[in-house]
Amino acid sequence: MNKTKNQAHIYGAAVEMSWMDASQSLTDLIFSGVTAALKDADMTLEAADSIVLGASDLIDGRSLSSMVTAPAAGAYMKDEIRLSEDGLAAASFGAARIEAGESQVTVVAAWGRASEGDPLAVSRAGSDPFLHQPLCISEMDVSAFRLSRWLGRYPDNDASRRAASAERQRRAAGNPHALHSVTAPRDVPYPLREDESCRWGDVVAAMVIGKAPGKVLISGVGHGTDHADLGERDLLEMPALRDAARLSLDAAGINLSDVGLFEIDGMTLSDEALSAEAVGLCPAGDGFRALAERQDINPSGGSEAGWCYPAMGLVRLIEAYQMLRAPQGPDGPRRAMATGLGGGGAQTATAIVLEKT
Amino acid sequence: MDGTEPLTIPGNWNFSYRYFAGDTATRFFSELRDNSRIMGTRNPVSGNVMVPARTFSDADYVETTEWVEVSNEGKLEAFSIVGTKFPGLPDPPFVLGYVTLDGADTAILNHVTGVDLSDIEVAAQELLKQPRVKAVFKDQREGRITDFCFEVLHDGAEK
Repeated sequence: MNKTKNQAHIYGAAVEMSWMDASQSLTDLIFSGVTAALKDADMTLEAADSIVLGASDLIDGRSLSSMVTAPAAGAYMKDEIRLSEDGLAAASFGAARIEAGESQVTVVAAWGRASEGDPLAVSRAGSDPFLHQPLCISEMDVSAFRLSRWLGRYPDNDASRRAASAERQRRAAGNPHALHSVTAPRDVPYPLREDESCRWGDVVAAMVIGKAPGKVLISGVGHGTDHADLGERDLLEMPALRDAARLSLDAAGINLSDVGLFEIDGMTLSDEALSAEAVGLCPAGDGFRALAERQDINPSGGSEAGWCYPAMGLVRLIEAYQMLRAPQGPDGPRRAMATGLGGGGAQTATAIVLEKT
Repeated sequence: MDGTEPLTIPGNWNFSYRYFAGDTATRFFSELRDNSRIMGTRNPVSGNVMVPARTFSDADYVETTEWVEVSNEGKLEAFSIVGTKFPGLPDPPFVLGYVTLDGADTAILNHVTGVDLSDIEVAAQELLKQPRVKAVFKDQREGRITDFCFEVLHDGAEK
């Protein structure tokens, strides 16, 4: 268990996904998502004394977008921290504020609206201007590099790839948060396949956490950062994620086998599969099979249910939280882990362990 | 709403930047342009040679101490076959790949040529074998990463 005096408990959360809804501005979407989380927590904004945001000016298409969007997330006249990072990192900062005793109740919010811009074009423009911009690589190419490396080492896995893809489509179809409509084109570089890409979405995730006891506790947090240059990274082992997961378990004082539910972030099916391997959920080379066969990994359907950086780590956490909170038998999971990946080809990673109190 | 079409307006960011490469990258790109050489720098702690050349190792957090010329040949580590048209790049499909050159300990990204892409699946089977490749330099070089590309050496695939 976490030995700090204060612990961060979750009171409520919401995920809202849509696509190209012109009747709602970005700030409308954020306001709606945060309002839904507060309602789920049975609280009003007055209860919160701080706000932590995970968002990207480039994805938002608004320079200094925090000025525009933070009040929509409830930040007016409150203590606000804004990260240009994955939403799970924002959740970890929120938890740290609670544990440090500097906040009683924090709203954590993250969003990304793929329909207003082009996240892959943003990732091309945001890469190194000397080495990578001239070659126009995007986050999707990084995913393809990673998969090509995996296929070279673990050939003859086509059946498990196809089974994992079919299974996550089935799970996403049953996910009440998921987008089910056709959204942006799913063009992908080879060796990725269209059905292995994400379903692009307009995504808002929000969570209300605080010091007073709640039904679910944030019991462990871990972070990791890999090399800056992709050419120096181990594309298969994903050590930043591996370390983040291990550190979150250490902080919670448990082993991986003590966790009964996993929500693993990844823009593509193969990113999810390799992330599952990195976390230690299966032997190397078995990631797709694990996604196809294990019901405790991404029951939400993962990125097939809707995806836009940088909201997705927080989405994964909320999916895990809501499944822990749902009525279940005595054999239901008591602990869950969510992971989130940062941009730059998952250079940064966060893992959070949740525990029912 | 009263049935009025929701307002939607176009947007376009078009800012200019001036990127400073720094001394290390300037030498790296100058070597490409002037001498058709690919240079790395050595991490004094691990002994690893990093290509492209870097001022420091982020893993050991030390300055690099030595310039090292690496081979123009190496192994294709990972690839992506791009099927979308981008301004300034060849018509698709084309291959991007990370290559670890002989004498280097890190991989460098560039175009990979010399693969018949008329059948992507067949091409991929060749690339998945991590073939040997060779850097081929342009006649007119500008001191840019696009001064060279990699060409697959068909008789030297590694297991």
